[in-house]
Amino acid sequence: MGKFTIGCFSSLVGSMSLDFAVKLAGTALEKGHKVDLWVSGNATMLSLKGQRAFKDYSHLEKPLQELMQKGLTVTACEACAEARGYHKEHTIEGFKRHSMDWYLASAFDADRVLHIGGE
Amino acid sequence: MATTKLGFIVQRPPYKSENPKLALTHAIASQSVEVYLNDGDIVTADIAFVGDGVLNCKKDQKAMDLYKLTSTETHVKMALLLDLNVLVCKEDLDRFGLTENDIVLNAEEFGAEMTVKVVPFAEITKMMEGVNHLLFF
Amino acid sequence: MKLAVFVSDYRVNVDTLERLNPEKLGIIFVQNGVYHATVKENGNSSSLLKKSANHYVLLDDLDTRGLGNSDVADNVKLVTYGDIVDLIFNEYDKTAWL
Repeated sequence: MGKFTIGCFSSLVGSMSLDFAVKLAGTALEKGHKVDLWVSGNATMLSLKGQRAFKDYSHLEKPLQELMQKGLTVTACEACAEARGYHKEHTIEGFKRHSMDWYLASAFDADRVLHIGGE
Repeated sequence: MATTKLGFIVQRPPYKSENPKLALTHAIASQSVEVYLNDGDIVTADIAFVGDGVLNCKKDQKAMDLYKLTSTETHVKMALLLDLNVLVCKEDLDRFGLTENDIVLNAEEFGAEMTVKVVPFAEITKMMEGVNHLLFF
Repeated sequence: MKLAVFVSDYRVNVDTLERLNPEKLGIIFVQNGVYHATVKENGNSSSLLKKSANHYVLLDDLDTRGLGNSDVADNVKLVTYGDIVDLIFNEYDKTAWL
């Protein structure tokens, strides 16, 4: 089994790229891979806790928490989050926040990297 | 001691999308990644501007004057200052009627020794083949 | 280089894929990219299907859009999320998302 680093830069609402990234991460975890998920740019919206689950909008807090319990590491770009007013106290429990070099460090020993760009 | 090489490919023009700026800021972060790694381990970042992405390299950008935003031109200069390998696709410059006189080529004012390399797409392909992972922006 | 390229849009506004010529190329249609595998505009299939590559389409994203197996071009293989993970780890060494 290998290490899989997924970076996603697309917003939670509007593109469904984060839906794809989280599903792919969950599937890779089920197959026994170690998975790191990095969110940057508009994708840092994923880190916000307390989002209401309307059926017209992508909502990933629950599946994300389940995957984190199974070992998924999820980290948001701290500068990108702060620039959008997403402060530490707004962050889902277990969701990490680091500077951009964390993503590169994760890629350092990853067997595969899938980088999903933003809008 | 190990090295992981990353290739950042910038395909889109600046400002309307955050992608090009995030490519540059993430690539620049390769210079501080050691805090997460063991001694001697490094991550290198090569940046290639292709397609419409070469428009990021136009010099004399005034984003700071007009919108109080760091220009992509300045980010390219920062990348050079930090000794990152920056490639610009010659065929795409030609397509836009741009020459080396029109784009940022160095950051001498910051003391950078590295310069932008204008190369055929074939050279960028070689870079893509030589890195461990690709990140398309 | 063995490269798996994810195509996530129908109108692709970058020409990078046309210029890539790796030793082994996989094109994985996801999200609105699935229309490349299914629709014909004015009777013509997507030019991406003519590119020398292994073509795949994500079943979930077909179903989401009301499309199915019978809509998919003959040279495109239907894949699940699990298949995509296996492709990434076993068949290709690098990925690109366009």
